[in-house]
Amino acid sequence: MSVAIHIIDGPLQDATNYGRQNSLGQTATNIGATLVFEGVVRALEGARHIRALEYEAYEPMASRTLAGLAQDILTSHGLISITVEHSRGHVSVGERSFRLSVQSAHRKEAIAATDEFINRMKCDVPIWKSPVYS
Amino acid sequence: MIVHVLIFGELARELSCKEIAVDVDSAAKVRDVNLALAAKFPAKSLLFQTARLAVNHAFTSPDSPINATDEVALIELVGGG
Repeated sequence: MSVAIHIIDGPLQDATNYGRQNSLGQTATNIGATLVFEGVVRALEGARHIRALEYEAYEPMASRTLAGLAQDILTSHGLISITVEHSRGHVSVGERSFRLSVQSAHRKEAIAATDEFINRMKCDVPIWKSPVYS
Repeated sequence: MIVHVLIFGELARELSCKEIAVDVDSAAKVRDVNLALAAKFPAKSLLFQTARLAVNHAFTSPDSPINATDEVALIELVGGG
C-alpha cells in the first residue's frame, strides 16, 4: 500500500500510465482497478468568464494534510495506492490543476474513495484558488 | 502577547493583508485568538469566531494553549481541486 503527494508549480502534465505498478513503481499483481480523476480549470466561474485560476498552498501543511487524508482513505477503503498531484500558482483555462490516481483490487472501492477524498480535501486541505478574470 | 495570524485566499485579498496581529493574554488559548480576531474585524465577527486555526501546521483544539512563537494560520474558505 502506498501514498504519494506532489504539489507542482503550474499546470499538471500528462498522467503517468501506472499499469500494473503502483505509484512508487512497485509491481502489484492484485491491482484490478486504476481510477484517475483530473480537475480541469473551467472557463466560467459562476456566471463570469475567467482566464485562469491562481492556486495558493500553505506548505508544509497542505502536503501533510493531503498525505494524512490519503493514508486514511487508503486504509478505510482497503486500496493499493493513492497518488495526489495538485497545482500551485497559475493554471489557465483548459489546463489540469488536480489529479487523483487510485488503485485497488475492485472498482467499487476506488470510486467511493475518489469521491470521499475530494469532498474531504475541499474542506480540510489548506489550498485556495482565486479566479483571474478575462 | 502579540500573535500573528496568517491569512490566505479571498480573505487576504479582501483585507489587503497576509497577516493579522492580535494582542491576547499570555495565558491565551486558541479560542482567545479567534475572539481577538472577531473583535478586530466586527464586520467579519462570525467568520473569525468560528474559523479553524492551525498552530504550527496542524489543526488545533480551541482549548489548546498558544505561544507568541507559534505559527498560526487561519484555514477557512479552502477550495482545492
